[in-house]
Amino acid sequence: MLSIKNLHARVEDKTILKGLNLDVKPGEVHAIMGPNGAGKSTLGYVLSGRDGYEVEQGSAELDGHSLFDMETEERARAGLFLAFQYPVEIPGVSNMEFLKASVDAVREARGDSALSSAEFLKLARVVCKQVNLPVEFLKRGVNEGFSGGEKKRNEIMQMILLAPRLCILDETDSGLDIDALKVVADGVNSQRSSDRGFVVVTHYQRLLDYIKPDFVHVLSDGKIVKSGGPELAKELEAQGYSWLADHPDEVPAE
Amino acid sequence: MTEQIDKALKREYEAGFVSAIESETFAPGLDEDVIRRISAMKEEPEWMLDWRLKAYHSWREMEEPEWAHVDYEKIDYQAISYYSAPKSMKDKPKSLDEVDPELLRTYEKLGIPLIEQQMLAGVAVDAVFDSVSVVTTFREKLAEAGVIFCPISEAVHKHPELVKKYLGSVVPPKDNFFAALNCAVFTDGSFVYIPKGTRCPMELSTYFRINEQNTGQFERTLIIADEGSHVSYLEGCTAPQRDENQLHAAVVELVALDDAQIKYSTVQNWYPGDEEGRGGIYNFVTKRGIAHHRAKISWTQVETGSAVTWKYPSCILKGDDSVGEFYSVALTRAKQQADTGTKMIHLGKNTRSTIISKGISAGRSNNSYRGLVRMNPGAEGARNFTQCDSLLIGDQCGAHTFPYVESRNASAIVEHEATTSKVSDDQMFLCRQRGLDPEKAVSMIVNGFCKEVFKELPMEFAVEAGKLLEISLEGSVG
Amino acid sequence: MSAWLDMALNGAPINDSLVSQRQQSLALLRAARWPNRKVEAWKYTPVRALEQIDYSAANQSTAARGVDAVEGLSAIELVLINGVPQAIAGELPAGLQVRALSEGEAIAGELFGSVKPSRHIFGLVNDVLAADGWVIDVAPGVQIETPLRIVYRTTEAAQAHGRVLVRLGDKSRLTVIEQAEGTEPSMSTYFSEFSVGVGAHLEHYRFALQTGAAMSVGGCHVLLAERSELHSTLVGFGSDLSRLDVDVIHGGEFASAKVNAIYLLDGRELFDLHSTIEHACANGTTEENVRGIAGGQSKAVFNGRIHIHRHAQKTLAELNNRNLLLTSGAEINTKPELEIYADDVRCAHGATVAETDKGALYYLQSRGISRSQAQIMLNFGFINELVDAMPNAALAQWLRPQLRARFAQMGDA
Repeated sequence: MLSIKNLHARVEDKTILKGLNLDVKPGEVHAIMGPNGAGKSTLGYVLSGRDGYEVEQGSAELDGHSLFDMETEERARAGLFLAFQYPVEIPGVSNMEFLKASVDAVREARGDSALSSAEFLKLARVVCKQVNLPVEFLKRGVNEGFSGGEKKRNEIMQMILLAPRLCILDETDSGLDIDALKVVADGVNSQRSSDRGFVVVTHYQRLLDYIKPDFVHVLSDGKIVKSGGPELAKELEAQGYSWLADHPDEVPAE
Repeated sequence: MTEQIDKALKREYEAGFVSAIESETFAPGLDEDVIRRISAMKEEPEWMLDWRLKAYHSWREMEEPEWAHVDYEKIDYQAISYYSAPKSMKDKPKSLDEVDPELLRTYEKLGIPLIEQQMLAGVAVDAVFDSVSVVTTFREKLAEAGVIFCPISEAVHKHPELVKKYLGSVVPPKDNFFAALNCAVFTDGSFVYIPKGTRCPMELSTYFRINEQNTGQFERTLIIADEGSHVSYLEGCTAPQRDENQLHAAVVELVALDDAQIKYSTVQNWYPGDEEGRGGIYNFVTKRGIAHHRAKISWTQVETGSAVTWKYPSCILKGDDSVGEFYSVALTRAKQQADTGTKMIHLGKNTRSTIISKGISAGRSNNSYRGLVRMNPGAEGARNFTQCDSLLIGDQCGAHTFPYVESRNASAIVEHEATTSKVSDDQMFLCRQRGLDPEKAVSMIVNGFCKEVFKELPMEFAVEAGKLLEISLEGSVG
Repeated sequence: MSAWLDMALNGAPINDSLVSQRQQSLALLRAARWPNRKVEAWKYTPVRALEQIDYSAANQSTAARGVDAVEGLSAIELVLINGVPQAIAGELPAGLQVRALSEGEAIAGELFGSVKPSRHIFGLVNDVLAADGWVIDVAPGVQIETPLRIVYRTTEAAQAHGRVLVRLGDKSRLTVIEQAEGTEPSMSTYFSEFSVGVGAHLEHYRFALQTGAAMSVGGCHVLLAERSELHSTLVGFGSDLSRLDVDVIHGGEFASAKVNAIYLLDGRELFDLHSTIEHACANGTTEENVRGIAGGQSKAVFNGRIHIHRHAQKTLAELNNRNLLLTSGAEINTKPELEIYADDVRCAHGATVAETDKGALYYLQSRGISRSQAQIMLNFGFINELVDAMPNAALAQWLRPQLRARFAQMGDA
């Protein structure tokens, strides 16, 4: 469903992604690991079309549609969801209002009928409970005054409500204690299905104990330098990332 | 991103049509004779004419104020017509059936149905078209409760004792240049009296419409809430799209006697001029209320229209324990200029005031908050809290804050805070990643910014205000 | 206009190398509106008191009197008596040049009026009438460790005008202390201009401590070049007329300004501080903290304007003004202003006026501290943060007892 070919992208004058290839099929969970500065967050931003992230060459298709031909919101409506590492606050705009507008927009694009306010509220309450957020959070401003853990759970809540095709989780584990991590992982696992793909970006192996990946990729200097099964994550945990610098021969030729 | 927001802000003025209504309009110009003629048209008693003439002579001695952060071409007061009325108003309609259908259509286009059964439940409307009040609805029902709601021109005849006592008691004729002008030439407006201990059974509202070319609108509103009474009053206004500027110089006086409460809400949507700043209304308005013991006056305004706005709805907190509130959203775009805020004059003991102002500047506009909080020596234990926030959209606009704080009572506490921010790229990205288009995203973020003010509006108006902002923020996005 | 101004201008024009600038200022002065209630910058500050002194009684002797040293501070002492420079006390280090304005150095012509905006009406008076003063030049890259202390002394019934012009070369460093005191009837205008070079650092103090009938209208005006820094501390007491205008202009990117100000008023004193921060370039930061206490029947005026120009993106500017009103006879008028023409900026201001925290007063009293002592402690607590923030410890040490004495006096009223 997601097919990235030879992706080069830069931020300002600096090229961050230097020929990245990745294929995600429905039902698969891909973990992308790598040292800081490897371009992990950049991947999510480039795919979702953040301003300032420019594609130099290569392609990315979601269900056969070129992502780079679409506006940010069109990609979202096509089923691309990015869970932010640092969710932004929008003062005064209630979570409820925001989620409803978002769900309406995505449903409309899919050709689904709009949910009534009552239907939506009912659904939102259930999901709130699922990610262990008090229902009052629906009334509060988007991420306004939320703790780090609450913000991450709020992201997962949005993911569940939007029911995307492809989810990119950007360092969703950062800043979470073990309990919050479990809640987030449970939320994600509940959404695993045969028609949905996940790209889980993380620095640490810890998250992968809870969200079991089908594939693990190592991203270094803008390229995937090694791919394998879940065992690769364990290996990385044991060895760290320093071996990357010592084994330039591991880097496949372009 | 800024470009997209900017595009999202461009919009057409929806109330910009002109109604084909035959009017009787005075030739432009202002002198004693014009005032005598206005007074004669209204068949006013001698005392009213004398009052006008006195104000006129004061006005001639006064200078147009220049301290506001606005820049506009000098107004030629002799080029304005000071009276215009639909011809069919000569014999004022007794009921809606007799109202010129074109007029009714005008109000329908504005979304203000005057036909009673179509009306928003429980809102009585006074419609002022150019210089005259054309219709006031629900009068009988209000009369049952003892509430007087009528054109002020009518009140001069029917309730002279109230008008004589209170007209000019809050905003004296010499108060300022524009108020003096209004006193001399005001033509109509609404009059409200709520008797002692009465809770007005419905929302009262006035819709103002300038239609005729080269006319000024000088309406005058007087609301008296007798002891222990409550009233909520809404005001809306629109004007056709014209290339030349038109002057609107209104005066609103509120009197809240002991234990009374007045809530005054405005959605101001006068024609703002085009993208290049051609045309639009000059909105120079004096609004002030006086609150006696334990009384409360609350001003809420949503200002999106007018080429130039000069407006400071104020409270004189005369009585002990009286309360003043000011909640404001002012949005300027294209080349609009707004200089608006409030004055809270604390005279009585334990008086309290709250000021929440949200300014949104876009395009090449300038948006200023100007406010005064004064704690007089007698204001023992008085309190004020002021929060002024500005949101800038684009780098060609200006957002300004000029708060004056004067305290002469040690036990009084004044707190003022102001911040400025922009619609951040991060917020826009988050909204768009969740599938919202940029217009919707901007509108949502701006609405969130204004939430504290919108929640003060009566329900019907809150919806209208939200929509108005949305329309203001609507447009093509590329 | 004003009898005082007519009298002040009633002398022969100063015919020095600055004559053309002086004439220009005179023309502006003649065209300007003399301060009154309707002139915004003077809304709260009457200047009537200027007329009430018999200046003819002035003893124009400029005989030097000793200047009180600041304990623990070894400074180069630059004294102006009625605007006339006295012999420099202290060794001038290499790279520092100090001259009298009347020596007619070319640099004086370059600096005179180059930083101070022409809107200050008494600044124009100073342009016309300040025959002398100090011109200070620090060579690029030179770090002057010894502070310069400029003492402004005005004798009884005198009207005095002095000018200080300072240039800090690129990457240089200098500390300037401006100090004025006195209680005797007099009128003075002391204006200083600082041009701070690229990457240079100015540590600045202005103590406007005149009281009683010693009237003063003065100003400090600082132009910051790219990546330069200002740390300024202003302290004012009130008198029949005491006014200070401060301008900080960010004339280069990445400049930073920290301005701390304290004013303490008693009796029938008036003190008026007007500060204007101009962010004319991007990426600048300003942090301004102003605290005031007014007792007796005094009147404090603060006007703090922050102006962000169109291209000054990424500016961070904050202004905070807190006031304590000790008596209901006193009055505080404050107006923090923001004027913003750039969107990607973070600006905020806040102002409060309140009385002493009654709970805290009671708490101290309950621990056996007298009410007056408790009031002094709380007053001190209110401003202590800013005194502690003075980079020069000896100066802070010198200031504290004066503030304490002031508080004791305020308590008596």
